[in-house]
Amino acid sequence: MTNTILALSLGIVFGLLLNKAGLTKYHKIVNVFRLTDLAVLKFMMTALVVAMTGLFSLRALGLVTFPNVPATYVVGNVVGGLVFGVGMALAGY
Amino acid sequence: MQTLIEQFRKEEWSPYIAGALLGLVGILTVLLANNLLGASGAIENLAGLVGQAIAPNLFDNVYFDFVMPPGITWQVILLAGIFLGGTLGAWSSKTLKLRINDDSQWKRIFGPQIWKRWLLLFVGGVILEYGAGLAGGCTSGLAISGGMLLAPAAFLFMVGMFASGILTALIVYRKRY
Repeated sequence: MTNTILALSLGIVFGLLLNKAGLTKYHKIVNVFRLTDLAVLKFMMTALVVAMTGLFSLRALGLVTFPNVPATYVVGNVVGGLVFGVGMALAGY
Repeated sequence: MQTLIEQFRKEEWSPYIAGALLGLVGILTVLLANNLLGASGAIENLAGLVGQAIAPNLFDNVYFDFVMPPGITWQVILLAGIFLGGTLGAWSSKTLKLRINDDSQWKRIFGPQIWKRWLLLFVGGVILEYGAGLAGGCTSGLAISGGMLLAPAAFLFMVGMFASGILTALIVYRKRY
């Protein structure tokens, strides 16, 4: 139950941020691939840097244990990414 | 306080501010729920649920039995939250409305036909979800959530995604690129 509430509330904040960053718009997503508007990249990379700094500091202090990290299988990850990019550029979401 | 509310109601925030806040959400997700911000898996969980109800034999395989078990999972609830949050965001900036085909850039490039937009959206969506299934996550669940834990998979995925995305955009837009 607590997990459901957590998932729902974290999802709500996540969705709100996606909307406010403009990632719910077709032209934002496609223009990052046309290299004319890098907002998506700025959004993603800022999130990455903040999260990895915070998480690894917390782990160094012994305050957090990491969940299972997404598995690495080189061919699958790269091919999946290649297929994903085609879909993303076509659909724009 | 007043300025803060005004800032909140803006349609578009600085991507750096929104990104930093998403980073905090990512930290909280790991800290409080020991989980990740996956979204594409929810579709697979739901598809498995529907599939097992309609054609149990077809969906009784390794993928749906072990890799992506059907059900109302963490990701499904997270996805519901994302939808609500997106709606809330649009509502707060008074841009909430039903959009069928209103992206001006799309119309300029491909014309005003609605079926074209929806067809390409559907085809693109299927390709995208299939790619996410192959790679083990999407932009949020693999690239951002995996990246913040420094999973090599996330960076391999991002390389693939941008390489083919740029190429696809080049082909689709041709001279208009």
